[in-house]
Amino acid sequence: MKNSIKVQRAIYGLTQEDLANKVQVSRQTINAMESNKYVPSTVLALKIAGVFNKTVEEIFMLDEDD
Amino acid sequence: MSPKLLLPHRCKRIGWFLLIPATIMGIILSISDFEAFALNLQVPAIFNTEYFGSTRVFTWVTANVTNTITGAVFIAGAMLTAFSKEKTEDEFIGKTRLSSLLWAVYVNYVLLLLAFLFVYGASFLNVMIYNMFTVLIIFIARFNYILYKNTKTLPGEK
Repeated sequence: MKNSIKVQRAIYGLTQEDLANKVQVSRQTINAMESNKYVPSTVLALKIAGVFNKTVEEIFMLDEDD
Repeated sequence: MSPKLLLPHRCKRIGWFLLIPATIMGIILSISDFEAFALNLQVPAIFNTEYFGSTRVFTWVTANVTNTITGAVFIAGAMLTAFSKEKTEDEFIGKTRLSSLLWAVYVNYVLLLLAFLFVYGASFLNVMIYNMFTVLIIFIARFNYILYKNTKTLPGEK
């Protein structure tokens, strides 16, 4: 799965740490998602989409391998 | 992993505080063939088998307790380090914890299998001694390495 968290963060001027605090996870988790090493749970995906005022589909996209 | 099964985050620091001196002591002991700093004390034992003798249960024995103490402190320290919550214990960290446990058990038994096949005689006793601790050591190393790797951001990243 791909995601546009990094782009969205840049738009909102948030650091990984800021986003991590907003959705109550560790910075490592944000980092792992941005480098496509971790697929978040539905709960976390919804929270992240909420921070950026977007739907989940606008932030997370299926990959060819999925 | 359910956070209920994990110790509070502050235990991690206590764990390192016990683990590091115990590791150093363990290395010194293994270099000295487990003879350094001999401390003979009378201690209670549930089982005691004398060399070529009979087994006695619930008895007192005189033993060199240096190895006993070092091993016990090491295990206590390693368990505190391994099974304490991270500062923010979240889903990714939980997943990393479980995958590291699986990884540690795999690696441990592959190493043990190789040692089983290729180490004979008195050296095998050493294999058994190290094998008592390797699962925890491999787990701690792998888990903390993955977390460390994910604290590093790409160049130009805030």
